[in-house]
Amino acid sequence: MMARKKAMPWVSMVLLGLIGILFLSPLVWMAFSSLKTTTEVFSTNFHLLPKEPQWYNYRYVWQESEINMLQAYGNTIFITVISTVVQLFFASLAAYAFAKIHFRGKNFVFFLFLSTMMVPVEVTILPRFTLFNTIGLYNNLWAIILPHWFNATAIFMLRQFYIGLPDDLMEAAKIDGATHPVIFLRIMMPLTKAALVSLMVLSIVSCWNEYLSPLIFLVKTNLYTVSQTIRWYMLDDLQRYELVMATATSAIVPILILFIACQKYFVEGIATSGVKG
Amino acid sequence: MQRTQSRLMRRENAVGWAFVTPALITFLVLTAFPFFLSLFLSFTKWNFLSGWDHIKMIGLKNFQNMMKDKRFIQALENTFVYAATTVPISIIVSLLLAYALNGKVKGRNVLRLAFFIPYICSAVALGAVFKLLFREDGIINMILVNMHVISAPLKWMVEPSLCKVPIIMLIIYTSIGYEMIIYMAALQNVPTSLYEAATIDGAGSAQKLWYVTMPMISPTTFYLIIVRLIAVFKVFSSVNIMTMGSAVVQNTSMVNEIYDAGFVSYKFGYASAEAMVLFIIILVITLINFAGQKKWVHY
Repeated sequence: MMARKKAMPWVSMVLLGLIGILFLSPLVWMAFSSLKTTTEVFSTNFHLLPKEPQWYNYRYVWQESEINMLQAYGNTIFITVISTVVQLFFASLAAYAFAKIHFRGKNFVFFLFLSTMMVPVEVTILPRFTLFNTIGLYNNLWAIILPHWFNATAIFMLRQFYIGLPDDLMEAAKIDGATHPVIFLRIMMPLTKAALVSLMVLSIVSCWNEYLSPLIFLVKTNLYTVSQTIRWYMLDDLQRYELVMATATSAIVPILILFIACQKYFVEGIATSGVKG
Repeated sequence: MQRTQSRLMRRENAVGWAFVTPALITFLVLTAFPFFLSLFLSFTKWNFLSGWDHIKMIGLKNFQNMMKDKRFIQALENTFVYAATTVPISIIVSLLLAYALNGKVKGRNVLRLAFFIPYICSAVALGAVFKLLFREDGIINMILVNMHVISAPLKWMVEPSLCKVPIIMLIIYTSIGYEMIIYMAALQNVPTSLYEAATIDGAGSAQKLWYVTMPMISPTTFYLIIVRLIAVFKVFSSVNIMTMGSAVVQNTSMVNEIYDAGFVSYKFGYASAEAMVLFIIILVITLINFAGQKKWVHY
């Protein structure tokens, strides 16, 4: 180990650094382009920095435009928060039951849930559209929220976590007369906090970046999510690419902040849901 | 005594079911039911706009038509191309990056951050960025011309021989972070004693990677191949954004084709049949995963 640490030659260090810069460069280009004028973005005389930062671009996409980021943020935050909170609660309930309660049919239900790992959303979205259309959820944010309430991966990860918690904790509480709901809410769920935070950040990212469902279910412009707003500026005939880049930057910044704040949980969440035993 | 016991068991049963019910209902209504409806629709001819009474059973006709449908065949082919290119490249690159960043490298956290960020960024936002970068008058052409790699700007998004390249680059760009994190976690679990033994035997860095690391982390590689294959077969956002506004079909993917058949042409029967083909492909990959986990992975 020591030998390897010393053996890291400067060539690889420089190479790694260059690859790192290469990885960040599209994002840097995006951020700077969002502050340029339309002609500056594709000027043949390329400068990374804008001549004069056009902060107005942001004011336009956030405030003045009819299709604005403020509204899109509101919609997307609403979708993200309700989807995530309910998903984690439902998944915790099911995971606790699978790990700590002996009930008939447990294995069957578990197998059912397991089988959904093979059914991608893309396969069920057409019938889901007919279903939501029939019950009046077309052009409704709930059409995006409801499907998030079941997440097989979250259930499995939490189940593993609950299995790892000693039964003694539960038995002692049972002798004191505590019932399952009480044991679950007061004793067990708080102990899964680390797993919950990891799952929470993963869920937030996936809700925030979701595209296919909003594209299908939300047609009214006042219901647009962040992704759809980017698409709208992309399709706009005026081809104002600096505005596209301003919306793209606006979409990425909160996720970056979340990531930098919870880096540990991200990495843990991805690593534990990824690497199996 | 017997009675209290059975009463307790019944209570336990009821509580168990109560706990799984919220997830179960969501699953039944929004996953199981749509899945079987999709299976049923795949055997019908049905334009969504014509209403429920106009569903017509046509047996396997949709699947037969698919085999003659140039667009679908193209989408299928493209998706296989995306899988065959992006999966191996991204896995090799991410393994090398993870291997290089393993241990105490200066600036390890910053570099990890840089490689990981694209994975969590909105695919739509990055798709928009890549589309502009690869424009004929875009910066990539400008750099390539200035470096004399090419003599004239290339039409990346239009030329049939080139139009898959930006999408492949984008998929690789967004997947490396994820694979690298998984590899870094796996590398932590390789016992350092093995490296020490290899050092004593005079193995260099490359030899250690090939003879020690690779076999030790083969389960992870196998897992990543499966996960990435499934992800690439479902690719939609990046392709949708990057092909927007152009009539080119040379780079359409399976989900894009399902989306077009379903929500542009409203051919729900046909689109469902296409979705079933996607499901079968993913099912096969998953089954290979179950079968292979024990067989292919060796220490």
